[in-house]
Amino acid sequence: MSNTEAVHEPSEPAQQLTTTGESDERVREEWTEYDFAGDAKLAVEDLDVYYGDEQALQSISLDVPEESVTALIGPSGCGKSTFLRCLNRMNDRVKSARIDGSVQLDDEEIYTDGVNLVELRKRIGMVFQEPNPFPKSIRDNISYGPRKHGDLDTGLLARVLGRDDREQEADLVERALRRAALWDEVEDRLDDNALGLSGGQQQRLCIARALAVDPDVILMDEPASALDPIATAKIEDLIEELAEDYTVVVVTHNMQQAARISDQTAVFLTGGELVEYGDTDQIFENPESQRVEDYITGKFG
Amino acid sequence: MSSVTRNRLVAGDSTTSVLVARGVLAASALAFFASWLVLFQWVDETALVAGVHVLKLLGVALVAAGVGLTVVGVGSRLEYFESTPSSSAGLPVGFVFGLLWAVLGGLVATRLLGNALAMWLPVAAGFGIVGLLVSVLPREDVGSTLPVAAILVLLGGYVVVGGINAGWTWSPSWSSAVFPGSELVPLLVVFGALLSAWSAAKAREGFGAEGRQSGAYYLVGSVVFAMLGVLALLVAFIVKNGLETMLTRTSLTGGHLTLPFVGSVPWAEFPFLMNQTGGLFVEVPGVLPAVMGTLWLVFGAVLFAVPLGIGAAVFLTEYAERGRFTQVVEVATNGLWSTPSIVFGLFGLAFLVPRISGGNSIFVGQLVLGFMLLPLVLITSREAILAVPDEHRDASAALGVTKWETIRSVVLPAAMPGTITGVILGVGRIAGETAPLLLVFGGSPYPSSYPNVLGSFQFSTQPPFVTNDALLSPASALPYQLYSTITAGVFPKEIFTNTEFGWGTALVLLCVVLGLYAIGVGSRLYFRRKLHHE
Repeated sequence: MSNTEAVHEPSEPAQQLTTTGESDERVREEWTEYDFAGDAKLAVEDLDVYYGDEQALQSISLDVPEESVTALIGPSGCGKSTFLRCLNRMNDRVKSARIDGSVQLDDEEIYTDGVNLVELRKRIGMVFQEPNPFPKSIRDNISYGPRKHGDLDTGLLARVLGRDDREQEADLVERALRRAALWDEVEDRLDDNALGLSGGQQQRLCIARALAVDPDVILMDEPASALDPIATAKIEDLIEELAEDYTVVVVTHNMQQAARISDQTAVFLTGGELVEYGDTDQIFENPESQRVEDYITGKFG
Repeated sequence: MSSVTRNRLVAGDSTTSVLVARGVLAASALAFFASWLVLFQWVDETALVAGVHVLKLLGVALVAAGVGLTVVGVGSRLEYFESTPSSSAGLPVGFVFGLLWAVLGGLVATRLLGNALAMWLPVAAGFGIVGLLVSVLPREDVGSTLPVAAILVLLGGYVVVGGINAGWTWSPSWSSAVFPGSELVPLLVVFGALLSAWSAAKAREGFGAEGRQSGAYYLVGSVVFAMLGVLALLVAFIVKNGLETMLTRTSLTGGHLTLPFVGSVPWAEFPFLMNQTGGLFVEVPGVLPAVMGTLWLVFGAVLFAVPLGIGAAVFLTEYAERGRFTQVVEVATNGLWSTPSIVFGLFGLAFLVPRISGGNSIFVGQLVLGFMLLPLVLITSREAILAVPDEHRDASAALGVTKWETIRSVVLPAAMPGTITGVILGVGRIAGETAPLLLVFGGSPYPSSYPNVLGSFQFSTQPPFVTNDALLSPASALPYQLYSTITAGVFPKEIFTNTEFGWGTALVLLCVVLGLYAIGVGSRLYFRRKLHHE
């Protein structure tokens, strides 16, 4: 995993000097402050992540506005994927990970005792780098989440008791696939195995699968990096459309992609620190940090 | 780059050497197949083909191959044929030939000089060193043909002049074994044919890298072919011996089947499969009790071992932390799988029999075979579960699905084909298991009724609420039946001898095991289809 690549020398929190960047400039607090209209969907406050003894994220604070696309960019090993996986507590699955700080979804803390992980992950869906559909039919891939959450019941018992949800299932599958712009391509082969789809179709299926449980937030971890340019363009269009109804946070190492699809951009640099966060146009045209400028213009990273 | 030799890009027209090499290959192949036919006694070793003894013909083939190889090798060395040999055949080839020559020299020396160590050892060593040097020192085209050709001509020539014939036997003083010429000659010819095929295949491609590739291909191919031939022979032998017994008094419409409302209709009759083994009124003794016994044993063992094995595999892979504990369990299960079955049987006899049935019984047999099956199911399902990609687990967790639901709906279905493979292998082993059955299961060698397990359930309101006498009684299974019949000496009915009955039982056992395999392979295919779009 790229997360463990982050190498960092412990430093005083007061004076955060990077030791691996090209310049030794200090991160100023106002660079990461981003004012936007409306409420914050996700509010991250002083988030530290350690893998064993290595610190992967350093005191990240960042607010994600509702119904928008937020891009996280940065070189490999800068902790952007780690950050993303903190937002739906997927890092709990990594045994060596230790997480300090606060993440709030709609003003509710998700890093406290008694958080219902099932409910949390229903509200915050995730799409991975490699398309990972289950080895099941297209229909079963979509209805997997709702079925397991008890929202759909098409089993034998339900059929006998007359509580068959087949129509709701068909409805939900169609809605999710249409939303992910895949319906037209698969409508007459819903019972085929999902592994028979092309890479781009599989990734849109994974997005549809995440949409089927009706989340508020969708996290995407380099969703197009394993795809060809045409499939990538389709995913990018889809992300922009999704931002009308959902809050999308997308990790990418493709800066043009971030510039094309995102409303705001957060730049992580080596060492697991957030260097600059702001309007995408401003970050790409007139960054305040010298290191961010170097990174964006391709001088390092 | 002056030390790099460059060969012509397009091979020159050297049809003569290719033709000779092909001829040698053909002679080797013919000799190879003919020797197997003689070995399997499908061709009598004293048969005459075109007026010549078949063994002598084999010798002629070897000599011809040797001469052909010499022509190709020497012709290539004298640049008469175009080829691309390396500078040497290489040390590994040299060691093999050195060893062969040493053996050959030793044999010749013991034949001529007697068995004294001081006499034959120097000769053998000398031959070995010559063989090594002749293969390694000259260029590859000579080094990989002449040592072979010499062996072929020596062996073939000795056979042709009648040094070894069908009636000849070799009974070395250091062993009580006797090797008749009828087996020794074909064996030597098979061996020589492999060597000459390897050498000729190299020569056909003009030696060098392509030649070595071709040689390896022919050598590996013929060895594989020989192995498959032996397996096919084994099955054919059992079928040949058992078929007559199995089909005794069989008729396709001779029997009668009574159907409700219709009455009696003609029906196929297979007495050997459908009759009891013993009993006063049985004309043709059959193996029905043993077949039923085997099926019940396998069914019970699978029912016991599969859920437990899969459950343990899920716990070890998905829940337990990888560490000392899982390692110990891993080593222990591997050890259990290689534990001899008689040990399981002894455990059943000493521990289970007194506690459960007080005597031999189907139920204890099922448990013992289940214990034997358990480690393999555990090992294979653990491997299959580990092979399920973590991406599936991540995807499921990211949808908010709990771990147990993920295991049930994603991990286990994906691991199903691997698990079934394990069960197939295990069932193949336990269905033919005899040793533990002798201790905990077997009853009368000539049972007059088959175990009626389904019809023996009795329910009561008193504990233990359900009893089954048939499960707690001894029975017969096919391997047990086979063993007890062929060791009994005399068969009680005159229609079969005990050997005939044994062969029939062996054939039925083979069919039952293959049938179980077919079921397993079928279900594995079904799950594969479901998982992948094939």
